[in-house]
Amino acid sequence: MDQGIEPAAAAPGLRAMVNEGRMISVNTWGFIALAALIALLGWIEIARPLGIRFSALTSGILTMDTMVRIGILTIVVVGLNLLMGYAGQASLGQAAFYGMGAYASAILTVKARTIGLPVGLTTNWWWPWLVMFGSMAFVGAFAYLVGRPILRLRGHYLAMATLGLGIMIYIILRENFGFSAAEINITGGSDGIPDVGRLSIGGFALWPVERYYFLVWAVALTVLVLSLNIVHSRVGRALRAIRDSETAANAMGVDTYRYKIQVFALSTMYASLAGSLYAHFQGAVSPGPFDFGGSMELVLMSVLGGIASIWGAPLGVAVTLALKELIRTRIHVVLGGSGGEQEVIAFGLLIVVIMIFMPDGLAVGGVRVIRSALGGPPARGQ
Amino acid sequence: MGDAIPKFLRTRTGGSLITGLAVALLFGLFLLLGSSKGLTWPQYLQLIVDGLRGGAIYALVALGFVTVFNVTGIINFSQGGFVMLGAMTSVSYFNLPALSSIPANWRMALAALLSIVTVGLVGVAIERLAIAPARHSAPLTLIIITVGVYTMMWGAALLIWGTSPYQLPAFTTLDQKDALLRFGQLTADGHISWVWGSAELPKGARFVGVMIKSQSLWIWGTTAAVLAALAYFFERTITGKALRACAVNRRAAQLVGISPSRMSLLAFLLAAVLGAVAGVVLAPATTPIYDMGLRPGLKGFVAAIMGGLVSSPGAVIGGILLGVLENLGAGVTKAGFKDIFAFVVLIVILIVRSHGVAGSGATGVEEEH
Amino acid sequence: MKVRQMSMLVVVLVIIGLLASIGLPAAMAQPPLAAPEGAPYTIGVCASITGPASSLGVPQRNTIAMLEKRLAEGIIGVDGVHHELKFIIYDDESNPDTAASVASRLIKENEVDALICGTASGNAMAAMPIATENEVPMISMASARSIVQDPQTGETRKWIFKVAQENQHSGEWQAVYLDKLGVKTVCDLYENTGYGQDCLNQTTKAVQAKGIEVVYSDAFERSDTEFPQMSGVQASGCEVLIVGAVPPGASLVTVAARETLPNLPVVQGHGVCNKDYIKLAGEAAEGVVFPCGRLMIADKLPDDDPQKPVLLEYTAAYTEFTNGEPISTFGGHAWDAAYMLVDAMRSLKDGLSLKERRALIRDYLENNIKNWPGTGGMFNMSPEDHMGLTYDALVLVKVTNGEWAYYPEEEWKLE
Repeated sequence: MDQGIEPAAAAPGLRAMVNEGRMISVNTWGFIALAALIALLGWIEIARPLGIRFSALTSGILTMDTMVRIGILTIVVVGLNLLMGYAGQASLGQAAFYGMGAYASAILTVKARTIGLPVGLTTNWWWPWLVMFGSMAFVGAFAYLVGRPILRLRGHYLAMATLGLGIMIYIILRENFGFSAAEINITGGSDGIPDVGRLSIGGFALWPVERYYFLVWAVALTVLVLSLNIVHSRVGRALRAIRDSETAANAMGVDTYRYKIQVFALSTMYASLAGSLYAHFQGAVSPGPFDFGGSMELVLMSVLGGIASIWGAPLGVAVTLALKELIRTRIHVVLGGSGGEQEVIAFGLLIVVIMIFMPDGLAVGGVRVIRSALGGPPARGQ
Repeated sequence: MGDAIPKFLRTRTGGSLITGLAVALLFGLFLLLGSSKGLTWPQYLQLIVDGLRGGAIYALVALGFVTVFNVTGIINFSQGGFVMLGAMTSVSYFNLPALSSIPANWRMALAALLSIVTVGLVGVAIERLAIAPARHSAPLTLIIITVGVYTMMWGAALLIWGTSPYQLPAFTTLDQKDALLRFGQLTADGHISWVWGSAELPKGARFVGVMIKSQSLWIWGTTAAVLAALAYFFERTITGKALRACAVNRRAAQLVGISPSRMSLLAFLLAAVLGAVAGVVLAPATTPIYDMGLRPGLKGFVAAIMGGLVSSPGAVIGGILLGVLENLGAGVTKAGFKDIFAFVVLIVILIVRSHGVAGSGATGVEEEH
Repeated sequence: MKVRQMSMLVVVLVIIGLLASIGLPAAMAQPPLAAPEGAPYTIGVCASITGPASSLGVPQRNTIAMLEKRLAEGIIGVDGVHHELKFIIYDDESNPDTAASVASRLIKENEVDALICGTASGNAMAAMPIATENEVPMISMASARSIVQDPQTGETRKWIFKVAQENQHSGEWQAVYLDKLGVKTVCDLYENTGYGQDCLNQTTKAVQAKGIEVVYSDAFERSDTEFPQMSGVQASGCEVLIVGAVPPGASLVTVAARETLPNLPVVQGHGVCNKDYIKLAGEAAEGVVFPCGRLMIADKLPDDDPQKPVLLEYTAAYTEFTNGEPISTFGGHAWDAAYMLVDAMRSLKDGLSLKERRALIRDYLENNIKNWPGTGGMFNMSPEDHMGLTYDALVLVKVTNGEWAYYPEEEWKLE
């Protein structure tokens, strides 16, 4: 990545700028390529050229449904990459913020009568959008407040604190805030809230799946661009400095504490946004996906793709979901009989194997493999 | 003046004072919440005793975490899987047709031994196949690898043992029904008598006091024995000292000829054995099932971090504290919220510690590169 | 390192190989049939084979696998045309996201004619909007009322049906029983899942309607080893303990209750109607009373009971197929759902499009399932009632000498 030009009298600053410029242009091209691919796949599904559906391209393994989920989870994982990969802060409770966004959208649109909102208000087309952005702001503020004491911790202590926070939020959601269902049923307990409506703009419904796909990916691509910009700015460099050594960064005058809290809040805002999109996609919200297991899945996708790379987010999510679908649809070819059990073992095995061979994640490791396959010199760090 | 108070807090006496105050506050809270539920003294005691039982298990699991982390820097999320395998294999070995001619008590001991050996071998296999090839990767990568390993473990367990919950007889009675020891007051036909130790409850009699299942004694005894054995191992044997050396400074240990790969193997073996022991003694108290490893694993991890993640005694104290806190919390409030109780207390402890209060200088573990 | 790169390449190639197993024909040469051959019918199944709900989902998977063999000769339609019958089973991992994904795949990729989906209520509700939007009839094996009825408007959902007895019926039995015995205060312990919470809600509603107060209620986890809730139960002074859970949690609670409060009567819900409950609770289960589907006491029923033949048939077939694994009501739900669909398909003519088939199957389910004997009860579906069962699908049962015993009203007394 930094096989830069070597002008004779290159000052280090100039070299850095040139490489930075190269990076930006690589990223721009990459972004354009991804956006084009997304648009193409969406168009195929809608226009059905030659009668082919999108899923036929991958012989039924990837469906539109999966693509939408990939988009939604990309939004969460980008935030996680910023937090873990760039700022170097562990977060084992991210799924809880994802859940907060989902539940906020569900409660404020479905449970209007229960919580005393006028039904005339909540049935407007713009209400779910207002809720979506409102809960983003709320979750961000909440994370900012809660993050202040927690982000004073380092390393494994921080990991545990985020783990604890995540579990606590999950429990509160699952336990209906401590009320019995007879008194007031806000979160619906373990069964959750069904009948969450679909999004629309004015009279134009963003449904069925083919249309929702464009919305989700538009948001995902926006988030990607935003995050890429952050990474290649002063803030990004500050974050990387914090990751490499917080003490040194502090010594250099970087206000590490402030940056950490801001990145934490930003990542939770991404998660909340994704959660709202998820709620309107799934049509029902229940606490199951937001517990510790859910958080670990997010971390897994992040690490698989490569936490130190924004591109690692969509890559990690796509590979994880694609692998699951692949295993689900083809396991009976390898082993006879429908084995939910065998799927689990196969998935675990693949994770272990991939992490052994690409320890820095697919984004970094994959690039390395392609480079050496093409015979180029091995890349130094990013 | 404003500076003197924080300075005082950092001293030993200041730290102990804060800790004492916090503990008193906590107990006050418990009593307050419990009284609104109408709890009496024997019930508080019972909650604490039961919490000590859970705590002992968490302590064992936490020790496994600490051992692996100390030597390799990895947080081994498959630790819970060792507990589960210990429990499941002990059931299978106990019920093995080939062994059915052996009298039950020897069979139980044999099953326990076989199960520990089996799980130990599994730990070795995991280390050699999944950990060693990735040894030079970042800790986060290794953590994900252990997550993948745990997934494989419970998937395989589901395949082998299915979804039915199994049973292991209690060690004392070698039967499903465990012996119950009662300590307290017995009221029968207006007579009040005291019982101390096992006693049958006459029909219609009311009992007020503390009950201890004999399996709990096994759990406490085993934990104590394991701790003693570990202490001896780490203090008196060469291999143990080598392990400790690795924990203190990996590079220095390497320089004096201790092989990090062998130590890593040993650490995993030890962690697997610890997990298996926890699983075996836990099995009669619960119904072993393929996904029982997640909760002890998580709780053990929390306990290990509470103890600082680098200290064995700390892990044990952390485990016991977690068990008691959790049970007390569940008893005085709603059980669904017990995790919240435990975590709030733990996070407060962490935050307070990180400010250097209570005499601990540790500000957390920074990643070594 | 070179070796690493090569191995990585190998792994990638293996994955691509799997991917590229496109039209790998599940080649089966069809022997020429006497009857004319119509389009194959497909039933999609999503059950929780792994995850916390797997103890309910695996018997369902086994039942479907058994039916695959039983119905291997296919279905003859009402016009005499033969149709091959296929089942496609996916695991939803006890995860509502996966349930939705899988339901969507079954409908759009596998183009099933009907769905049997949802071991746990949360998963059924995740699949529900997909079935409704794509106009595919879905039978759920989970018990929440909101699956078939919109909780906000009270409308019955057009495309969704269910075959599981409800916790409401279970609660009604408990209320009737306790009321008859003059009990005024109860404690309720429930497992911390959707099922358990629903049990609490339904039981509370039912007993309150009879003037009985729930003085204490608390949750527990299936994997708990300590039961601090007993302190609360003891302190509240209630007369009877009601438990809403499935084994193993239900068994462990029973054991803990017997130890702490040996004189407290215990009443369970219909989730403990399988042999595991008694096996795991041992002596402690003695004297426990609970409402149960007739499946578990099939051999004790009078011979003229209309359900008895189905129950015995299911018991024999399942036991044979799984080499002696215990039967459970959950597996029975899968049997009921599948046979309802088979009946619906038998009423179809040949030559219909997928859309038409789905609509006709739905109509059949709504209108033609009358006095239909299933393992769960006698089903009577109607446009307003997509559940079809009333509270006498259950009977009250008491554990006596380690076995279930039919507990008729004359014998009711507090233990």
